[in-house]
Amino acid sequence: MKKNRYEVAIVIPLYNEEKIVKDVLTELREKYPEYRIIVVDDCSSDNSYKEACLEGIYLLKHMVNLGQGATLQTGIEYARELGCKYAVTFDSDGQHNPDDIESFIKVLKEGEADIVLGSRFLGSTENMPTSKRYLLKASRFFTWITTGIWLTDSHNGFRAINIEKFPNFEITQNRMAHASEIIGIIKNLNMRYKEIPCHIRYTDYSLNKGQSMWNSINIVLDFFVGNLIK
Amino acid sequence: MIFLKIFLIIVLTIAFILFSFSSKMKIFQKLTVIAGYMTLFLFIMFPDYSDKIAHFFGIGYGKDLIIYILVALTGLMNIVLYVGVNKNHAAITKIIRDSTKKNAKKCR
Repeated sequence: MKKNRYEVAIVIPLYNEEKIVKDVLTELREKYPEYRIIVVDDCSSDNSYKEACLEGIYLLKHMVNLGQGATLQTGIEYARELGCKYAVTFDSDGQHNPDDIESFIKVLKEGEADIVLGSRFLGSTENMPTSKRYLLKASRFFTWITTGIWLTDSHNGFRAINIEKFPNFEITQNRMAHASEIIGIIKNLNMRYKEIPCHIRYTDYSLNKGQSMWNSINIVLDFFVGNLIK
Repeated sequence: MIFLKIFLIIVLTIAFILFSFSSKMKIFQKLTVIAGYMTLFLFIMFPDYSDKIAHFFGIGYGKDLIIYILVALTGLMNIVLYVGVNKNHAAITKIIRDSTKKNAKKCR
């Protein structure tokens, strides 16, 4: 049987990252020419869309801003349409290290897990603010209480998913509550999961752009209400 | 007092008629609206009955009962509206997503 050359898709949600997205994509393209790179622009108000249009990149754009969860789902669905077997979710703000992708895909290809979750607490971080560290650690309890799954890092956007084996893997939380929803999906679909170390780079740029700590209240509300009305 | 009662009944009846004709309701919803109309009608015409009903529920006054019911109904309406908004949001998301995938391009 002919092997699908492009069996891996790197799905990148994009929102107002005109300063850095080109560097992120150039690095990914050089390191992984055999992977499909799908960038979904969530209606950026700056020049991100134009900056992301590098040769070989699959570029999509939401006509209105829907949120990161919706953007990831769009990218995953498009990856399925392209015939990809695995999807890696990767941030566009330069926090994730492209070198880690290889180890994520290796775990999926060897059949050790159906979904691989990056953990900054098993790996390493640069310049992580102390308040963020404590908030992320607290969120592990929230995830454990709501899903029964204990993770060392439950809100890391760096993941690799076997989308071929799980065609019903679907994110319905449009905004940031999707991270908790994904853990719920893992439980509901009986997916085998594995956390592996990843390296996160917190730069002044990414910290300035990152979401406010108070937004975690909105995330919790979104998560509960989203589950209630399902 | 009688003028106030007449005024309230007219306002209530107009609201009931407008609401009944402007929305597509299921039979259960229609019955709920009619029951609400009848209850409010009785409370306006015979306020003493509201006190008796309130006593039955262990509440001091009829007007307190009405306030409690209104607070509960407002909360319920908020939830119903929130669910409706979310359903619309999900539909909009699907439309946008389908259009986005259709207009995807490979950069050259």
